[in-house]
Amino acid sequence: MPISRRNLAAALAVCVVLPLSACGSGDDGGGSSDASGKIEGDITFQTWNLRANFKDYFEGLITDFEKKYPGTKVKWVDQPAEGYADKISADAAGGTLPDVVNVSPDLVAPLAKAGLALDLDKDAAQYKKEYLEGAWASHQIPGMTGTYAFPWYLNTGPLFYNKSLFQEAGIDPEQPPTTYDELFDDALTIAEKTDGKVATLANVPTVEDFGRYGVPLMNQEGTAFAFNDTKGVELLTKYKELYDAKALDPQALTATPESSGKKFLTEAVAMNPGSALDLGNFKKQAPNLYKNIGITDQITSTGHVNMYVMGVMVNSQSKQTPAAVAFAHYVTDAEHQMSFAKKVAIFPSTAGSLDDPYFTKEDGTDETRVRVAAAKSLKSAVNYTPVLFSEQMKTELRNEVAKALQGKESPKEALDNAVEACNRLLQQQG
Amino acid sequence: MTMSTVSRVRRQLPLSPWLFAAPGLLVIGAFILYPFVSTLINAFTDRRTLIEGKFVGLDNFRELLHDDMFWIGLRNSTLYVVGVVPALVLLPLLLALLVQKNIPGIAFFRSAFYTPVVASIVVVGLIWVWLLDERGLVNSLLETIGVGRVGFLSDQWLLLLSAMAVTVWKGLGYYMIIYLAALANVPRELHEAAAVDGAGAVRRFLTVTVPAVRSTMVLVGALSSVAAFKVFSEVYLMAGPSGGPAGEDTTLVMLVQRTGTGLTGRVGYASAISVVVFVVTVALMLLVLRADRRDES
Repeated sequence: MPISRRNLAAALAVCVVLPLSACGSGDDGGGSSDASGKIEGDITFQTWNLRANFKDYFEGLITDFEKKYPGTKVKWVDQPAEGYADKISADAAGGTLPDVVNVSPDLVAPLAKAGLALDLDKDAAQYKKEYLEGAWASHQIPGMTGTYAFPWYLNTGPLFYNKSLFQEAGIDPEQPPTTYDELFDDALTIAEKTDGKVATLANVPTVEDFGRYGVPLMNQEGTAFAFNDTKGVELLTKYKELYDAKALDPQALTATPESSGKKFLTEAVAMNPGSALDLGNFKKQAPNLYKNIGITDQITSTGHVNMYVMGVMVNSQSKQTPAAVAFAHYVTDAEHQMSFAKKVAIFPSTAGSLDDPYFTKEDGTDETRVRVAAAKSLKSAVNYTPVLFSEQMKTELRNEVAKALQGKESPKEALDNAVEACNRLLQQQG
Repeated sequence: MTMSTVSRVRRQLPLSPWLFAAPGLLVIGAFILYPFVSTLINAFTDRRTLIEGKFVGLDNFRELLHDDMFWIGLRNSTLYVVGVVPALVLLPLLLALLVQKNIPGIAFFRSAFYTPVVASIVVVGLIWVWLLDERGLVNSLLETIGVGRVGFLSDQWLLLLSAMAVTVWKGLGYYMIIYLAALANVPRELHEAAAVDGAGAVRRFLTVTVPAVRSTMVLVGALSSVAAFKVFSEVYLMAGPSGGPAGEDTTLVMLVQRTGTGLTGRVGYASAISVVVFVVTVALMLLVLRADRRDES
């Protein structure tokens, strides 16, 4: 049959109209969110860059779960760290989000708003008491009721410093700074004594730094940002002094946590925040630095150090909700968090786990000293990054901070602009 | 063959080309036409990554006019074209003239000049970041000769120039190959005749080589200007995800990536920027081709 012009036109029209379907209503179907049924079926579990180092641990965990719940099958997928949020967003938009997903609070927020994260307060409230109160609350979203992921491992860490660089600048390496004022004074001294060749810090202040300095990040209602107050301006003014004196690395304006870590590794900067995990890296990659490594507590004006929280979210569209909830809980329960913590320098978020002798007794090594100190500080630590603070907002803040450091705007103007831009993005998020 | 068979074959014939073309059409439809039309439609919506948008008319384009970052992106992408294209039209031609002759060992140089083309842009970017770092090889050399350290990766303009240099360095070999093919078709007699008439090397280059490869130069100009306007990797790798100090080195495609990706990405707004990029690149192509036609006439 020949293809008539009419048919050809119709085919072309389908090609053009097909994409229009993408603009349809956002009504989502999906499976039942009832978590009380029989635990069975096939589920997919996605982790965030963990296969390379913990393949055996996760394979064992999955085998044990499948044995405990016959009839279940867990398919494990691991995604690289780079572009993890993009991978999740592609899956979420395409309706292929795994049943159980490793997330951080800022990733949970948009997923929960889009109705893709299961509300555990509604469907798995019986597990709430097993976790530290603050950790459970870390996956709650301002403006929404409910908790949208099981808390998994926590991380925090000390501030590392290079003792020999301190000594070269005439600062007692056994007396590292413990307050912001001392930090800024030491940084200016090091820059002056080394003629600007050694910077003390390698990164511009982030939203966590503002939080740790005691700046209120959002208003009481959590509906608008507020880090442009006097204290915020004070912190940025101090950083401007550091930048002008080259106490802040000149490439800090474009630095990432990875690049500033490398600067510390190559002894180009004197201080860098890190975690217990870094000690092993220093030993392996920079033995010279390791010999001179100094470890001190995170500097904070609030009395609460910063912590990072990982979570495990259950996809609300999962067709096997009972199995997905059971597995997410299994991965994050006290027993498994403890065994995972003993494999890597992270900390469990389950109630009472941090009282284990593993986290309270030192054996004289730096590793245990860091671990015990970090575990102690975690009991009152705060995740300073607001869950609604998106990547776009981080870029806005970073760019405005850079303008202030370059002298293109005053610290006050820069923070006002950053708050305005972040609030605009917050409103656009809905 | 009966009459009915003939008419059946006649009736079926028009379908056959479509059947042969179907796989190609499907691929074009799915991976070129669909995303293109989707982008066009999204540009008129407020669609976000996880939230379906609604039609907002020209709002995204109006917002672009008041977005400082858009103008910075447009400025940097345009500067990239201005800085990179002349170098990519001329330098590969000179390089091709150098390696054109068949002398012993010339294959090594041809391969060496082509190596950056096949190298991964990520690896290339990282190597240049190490070289141009405040404590990198280039700055160490500059310090040794008394110039002092230069902020290749911390100064807004030097950073953009450094990224341009990497683009030129990586593209030289690719365009050199195109020129080599064109130069092979230039009749040797023309050079010989010009030489007999007393023309030196420079004059022969201007009066024989350039006119002979002019259409290739136009092609290189068109290809490199479109690639330069859409630059992403080099600047992203050297300036970081924030687009250099205060985002001042952001290009339009970087802005598309930054605005439209992630769980909170503004897909509609990013699509509007993509439409602008598309319109400008088409305009660039038309401009180059029109200039070529005018020269020819």
